This record gives sequence, C-alpha cells and structure tokens, in this order.
Amino acid sequence: MADSIYVPRLARLADIRPMTELEKLFVVEFPDGSSLGHQPGQFVMLSIPGVGEAPISISSSPSRSNGQFELCIRRMGDVTGVLHRMRPGDVVGIRGPFGHGFPIEQMRGKDVLFAPGGLGLAPLRSLINQVLDERGSFGRVIILYGAKRPAELLFRDELEAWAARDDVEFHVTVDRGDETWTGNIGVITTLFPKITVDPLNTVAVTCGPPIMYRFVLMEMLSKGIPETQIYLSLERRMKCGVGKCGHCQINHLYCCREGPVFTYAQIKNVPEAL
Amino acid sequence: MTAGSKKQEKPKVAFFDFASCEGCQLTVVDSLQTHLDLLDAVEIVNFREAATLNGWDFDIAFVEGSITRPHDEERLRRIREQAKVLVALGACADTGCVNALKNLLPPEEVRRYVYGEHADWYETYGARPLSAVVKVDAVIPGCPIDREEFVEVVKALLVGKRPPIPDYPVCVECKLKGNVCIFHVGGICMGPVARAGCGAICPTYGDGCEGCRGIIPHPNENAMKEVLDEAGLSVDDMMHYFRMFNAYREVGVGQWE
Amino acid sequence: MRLWVLPKEQVVDMVCRLMADYRVWGPQAKGPQFAFEPLPDPTAIRLDYNISILSPKVALQPPQERIAVFHLDGGFTVEPVIDAEPTVIFGIHTCDLHALALLDKAFSADFPDAHYLERRQQTLLVSLECLQPCDEHSFCKSMGTWTADSGYDLHLMDLGDAYGVSVGTAAGEALLTQYAQARPATDTEAQQLHEARDAKRLRFPNRLNFDAAELPSLLATAYDHPIWAELGDRCLSCGACTNVCPTCYCFNVIDSPELSLKEAVRWRRWDSCQLDEFARVASGENFREARAARQRHRMFRKGKWLYERFGELGCVGCGRCIRACLTHINIVDTFNAIHASQHRR
Repeated sequence: MADSIYVPRLARLADIRPMTELEKLFVVEFPDGSSLGHQPGQFVMLSIPGVGEAPISISSSPSRSNGQFELCIRRMGDVTGVLHRMRPGDVVGIRGPFGHGFPIEQMRGKDVLFAPGGLGLAPLRSLINQVLDERGSFGRVIILYGAKRPAELLFRDELEAWAARDDVEFHVTVDRGDETWTGNIGVITTLFPKITVDPLNTVAVTCGPPIMYRFVLMEMLSKGIPETQIYLSLERRMKCGVGKCGHCQINHLYCCREGPVFTYAQIKNVPEAL
Repeated sequence: MTAGSKKQEKPKVAFFDFASCEGCQLTVVDSLQTHLDLLDAVEIVNFREAATLNGWDFDIAFVEGSITRPHDEERLRRIREQAKVLVALGACADTGCVNALKNLLPPEEVRRYVYGEHADWYETYGARPLSAVVKVDAVIPGCPIDREEFVEVVKALLVGKRPPIPDYPVCVECKLKGNVCIFHVGGICMGPVARAGCGAICPTYGDGCEGCRGIIPHPNENAMKEVLDEAGLSVDDMMHYFRMFNAYREVGVGQWE
Repeated sequence: MRLWVLPKEQVVDMVCRLMADYRVWGPQAKGPQFAFEPLPDPTAIRLDYNISILSPKVALQPPQERIAVFHLDGGFTVEPVIDAEPTVIFGIHTCDLHALALLDKAFSADFPDAHYLERRQQTLLVSLECLQPCDEHSFCKSMGTWTADSGYDLHLMDLGDAYGVSVGTAAGEALLTQYAQARPATDTEAQQLHEARDAKRLRFPNRLNFDAAELPSLLATAYDHPIWAELGDRCLSCGACTNVCPTCYCFNVIDSPELSLKEAVRWRRWDSCQLDEFARVASGENFREARAARQRHRMFRKGKWLYERFGELGCVGCGRCIRACLTHINIVDTFNAIHASQHRR
C-alpha cells in the first residue's frame, strides 16, 4: 500500500515543563530514538488522534537535539487544549519537519539581531541557541525581546543566561509591568534606540503577532538593514503542511512550503502577508 | 480519552427540559438505539423522558427548551451550578426557536389569546434561549437536532474538544451532496445564511431550508434579501423566513419584559 | 492515432460490460439537471447531458473521505486509508478533462498525495466532445478547453448514429477492444469526424473579450481594482462557487473518534476559501476576513496563481460557478470588466 503524506509518526512526550499560565514546553522523542532532522524555523504537524492536528513551530535547536525536540505551545484551540492536559509518557503524532526555515549558512560571519515578540520567541529560540552553540561563526548577537506582561515571558532561565553572557547584547521589555518588574516598560520598538547596528553586516530576525512585527520591521528598515537580510516567520492556518490544502496561501505563496520564514524583500509587496 | 491518557470514569449525563416539544430528547432516545456504544460511553443519571432516573450528581447537562417563565430561570441556574458542561439541546434552547414567535406580538394580546380571561393567573414572559440566562458551553442546533450530530458532540466532549458545530451555511453541505439548488427549481431556501450541520436534509429531499439551526455568525443579509426578492418574495414574506425559527435573533424579547 | 466507430446503441452494452470489472461513473439525470455519480445501471447514463452539477472530480477527490484510521491503545497505530478501485469515468466533457489534468499536477507536485494518485492511477477517462455550448454561461472556447487532443484514454465524438472514438492510450484501446464492439473508422468517417470538429468551432462563442493567456498579467495590475469590493458586497460566502469548481481542491481535515475511544478516523473534506473560517488561526486572527478579499483570492487563484505554480490556468470555462451563484457573481464579467477598465486608461 502506498504511503500517505498525511500519516503521522508516533512520538512520546518525554517531558512537559510549565512555562507561563498559557504556555508549556513539550519535549518530544520518537520511540526509535531517531532525530527529527529539522532546521531552525521549520514546523511540525502535531496530531492528537481523535482530536485533530495543528502546525507547531519547533523551539529547540538542531545543535542540541539529543534525540529529542521541543515545542513551546500555547493553550489555544482543540489540539493544544487537550495537549496541555497530557502527561509525560503520553503519545502524540508528528509529521514533518516542514517548510523553509532560517538560512543559517547565509548568516554566518554576520551580526545577528533577534527581535521576537511574545510567543514569537518559540521559533526564534531554535535559531538563537544554534547561533550561540556556534558562537564563533557569528559577529555580534543582539536579542530584543518583548512580552505583554512579566508573567508572559517565556524561557526565563535562558533569558537570564543570555543576559548574563558578555557576548550577547540582551534587552527585554514588557508592555505593562508588575510589582516585581524593575526592567524596561514599553513595547518592543522602545528597545531599538538602545542598540546601534552595522546595517549591511547585520541579519535581523523577527516573529510575533502582526501588530508587533509590522512595527518591528519598520525599526529594522530604519536602521538601514537591507530588505534581503530581514527574516520574518509567519503564522497561518494549515491543514496539510505540504502545499495542498490551500489554507495557508498568502496570495501566490504557500506559507507551509515557501515559508514560514520569508525575507522582507520576498513579501513586502505581497499584500496579504504582513 | 485519547491516545496515551489514562482511562477515565464515564461522565455522568443528565437531560432536562423547559418550553419545548421534547422532540430533541426523543431524537436522543432514537440515537441510543442506533448507537448502542453511547450507553457504554456515558452514564445517564437523569432523563425524565426515557427513564425513572432523577439524579443530581452529573457532569454534563443537556438542556432542551426555551426559558419562558421567570421561575424557569432558577431551575436552570441550579442545573448550571451542578454541571461542568451545559449543552443547549436543540433549537428551543439554542436560539429560542418558534417559541420566540410570541415575542413579535404584544404581550397582552398573546396572553388573552392563549389563556383567555384567566391570563393573569399565568406567569409567562418573552421566550429566550438558555444563553440569555446562563453561560452555555456548547449547543446542538436544530429543530429537531440531528442524531449524528448529537453523537459527534458526545464524542467531542469525551475527548475534551469543542463540539464541531459548523459556522458555515447549509449551501456547503448541499453542494457537497451534489443537490439541485432549490432556487433553480423555483423554490425558496434559507440555505445561504442558515447554519449547516444537518447534512442539508431538507434541500436533499426537495424542500427549501427554513433556518431551523439558526443563522450563521456573519450572514450577508442584504445579499440574501436580494436573492429572496429576485425569487419573488415580498418584504413581509422575507421577514417570515428570517423570523420563523429565529425571531429571538431578530427582536429579542420584543415588547415583553 | 487510430480512430474507431462505436454505434450509439452499443454504448449501454459497453457500459454494462465495464460495470462487471470497474466502478463506472457517468452523467445521470438528477431532477431537471445532471449529476456525475456511479451508475446504478448502465441505462442510467445520459451522454446527452449539458453539464453536471458537480464535476467528475468527485470520482477522484470525493467531497468527504477517510484518510487515516488510528487504533488507540495507550499508544496508537495508524493506517492510511487509500480507497482506490478500478474505475472508468465515462462521458467527461473536455472542460472537466482539462480540469483533471490540473488536479493531477496539484496532487503530484512536491509531496505526492497517494489518496488521490492511487485512485487516479486506477481510473480510465472516457471523454466526450460537446458539439454545442452547454448554455449561455460556459466559456470553454475562451479558455481553450472546448476540445481536447490528449488527457483521455478514449475520446468520443457524436457522429449521428455512432460515436467516433479517438484512442489516447494503450489502456484506452484495450477498453475498446475488450468491452465494446467498435470497428476501425473508414477514411470517410475519419474525415467526417474532423469536419464535425471544425464545424463546432464556429458554434462556440468567445465570451472573454481578450486572450485568456493575458489573464495572469492582467490580474497582476488588478489587485486593488474597485470590482472586488463590489463582489464582496454581493457575495453570500456560501462556498457554492468553489464547491462546484472542477479545479478547486482545497480541503479541511477533521478527526472523529469512535464512541469507545478505541479508534479514531481522520477525514478530509472539501473546504472553501470563501468561508469565514478558512484563513483564521487559533489565536483568532483572520488573514482573509473581508468577503471582497476572499472573492479576489478565488479569482486570482483561477487566473494567475495556479498558472504560476503549475503552468495551467485554474479556470476551464465550465461556467459552474456562474450558474451556482445566487447573487450573479460572474467570473467572465469580472475578468472582462477588469480588462475593459485597464484598457480605458
């Protein structure tokens, strides 16, 4: 019988770590120990049989695969709602990895500016950790992270570790502070005046909600970073992940095939993209 | 539960009714005969229409009927307090259905017509769906409900996902069945704006849809009115089509309190 | 290419024999219209049909199909459901034949879709040349689909008392020799067949006021055209246009567990870019919320985007979307209006 591109592989939840009120980190492995073999920026289709399937970006870096991969998932719809009630040892279905990720080869030797907003850190963390694991191959590493509230900051341990490194320029802000928060308050664009970049030698990467990345892109452009060196990871509804079902189409582009990572130059004139 | 999770106890299920014909509960009884697994999947603890059970320890309450009297509210609130999940069963509970037709008329006139000279003895107010009184977690639309959809909703509740009630119009299911469009044979049909989920059963048998499952969330009402106008309906007739099953949506409780 | 002659009175006989070995889909009467469905008996076939409500794509991409079954037992095992059987689709008009060629490309590209392709592989296509336009809405001549030279296994053309049969493939020829009492065409009959095709050309009007090959470049300048807002105002978002379209293939995927929760079925079902939820993500953001944007998306897919991807226009001119639209959204009028306004400037 022919193979179906829609049949998932069984995978096991090796660990589940609570992160915020809405997000958990799921550590996933295949029973045969094989690696997912992904690139930073790619996604998987995650199934819970009987409930459904949803596209999820991969949060872990291939450089730290260890036979496992990580998915940082917000409780949002049917699949993620049920997933959040699962326990370590439970199984899910995985298809993929799919899509075009970040072209890390083209980033080597350059300064890298990351500007994730909120849950947009999930896919970018994969690339950030890969870059940090090969720290010598890159120039400056700048991370600007914005979240709505302190309680919504993801990967807090890693944020602290990044902040502590002297080879990473790290700035974080929240839209609204609380009694514990002593850091920056304001939207992510308020962090841009804190940094200077060598624009032609900088690659910029962002992901987040549309209202956030529209402004972040403007900041990146106004720093003089070339349109071909600004990367954006987009979110769309997906039912197949392989360019058939039509849901993720952005004008002529399929987010699942040509994306989810696009350069600004690729999509600036695609009206539905941004 | 779904793959991997632990075996759970069967959810306890109860059925209740307010102003209705009880036809939706009858459909449930029907479905118990065609889907014998239902009785393995859930434990029924209260179902006046079908069994001598009156338990009040339940997880899921299926509630049929509209709320038409102030003191119905108290009983509904008690059900709500007890239920982890409250499901509006059928159009009366979901949209007010035909019960809400009275909301279109002056209250005094209706009271006199129904109860005659003793109208004052009877407590009645504008008919309303359950959601006008309590939070409703899920609905099973239709007059009556679709048996298969009831089973699908039970399955969804068992695995913990939202019941798959379509928010697209009946036209979608009608086209997927390859039916001749009712408008192409001189009929009138609310299919373009009525909520699907019934498998377009009326058009499939040659009758126009009357919108018993309610109106979709974002109908293009102006365009629909033009379609009905072109099909020869007067403005009054159009109103009848929009109001027959959906009067509460159109006027709320009207002149009633 | 060899030409054969199949006397008309033998068509039912041929279908009858085919039905012993194949599932045979053909046009049948449905009320005052026609539907492509598996033939319940050979006499139900109506080769005199004008157009079917749904296109014969229903035989290859069913409106709803199971694509996988999960067995749940703490973990799970999963089997794909590839539901294919030897099939003949009999009496396909050439517009729909061209549409199937596009679906073949769409389902083969990149990640081949075995559910469609296995079915396709076991399916033989017997097409039928129309000698009259089916009604005032068809525009196959404009889209270049009013006839066909390939894409079929057998191709029938009405010669009065008999069908002239062109053989497209060896499998088609085998069908003809094993299941029909056809005879090779005489030179006169072959001549007759060519003349009939030439004569038909004049009977088919060009409804598009320009060459369809210009569509992709025409639309490239029409993204912000005011006509989309106009269509958006009229559109019911009922999805009729895409569901009757022979080249639309978008789908949704839906899981349904068994009541016992020991099994679950993964279904796929036709979906429509015209529906509210089509481009909405879990967080609530809807990336194509306006009806105008959704109609534009449909027409761009037909006239530009599928062409750029597969080298074929996504519209075959069957006119089904025009017939199905209760608010008279008309793809030909739309394209013509855009063309007219671009050329006024």
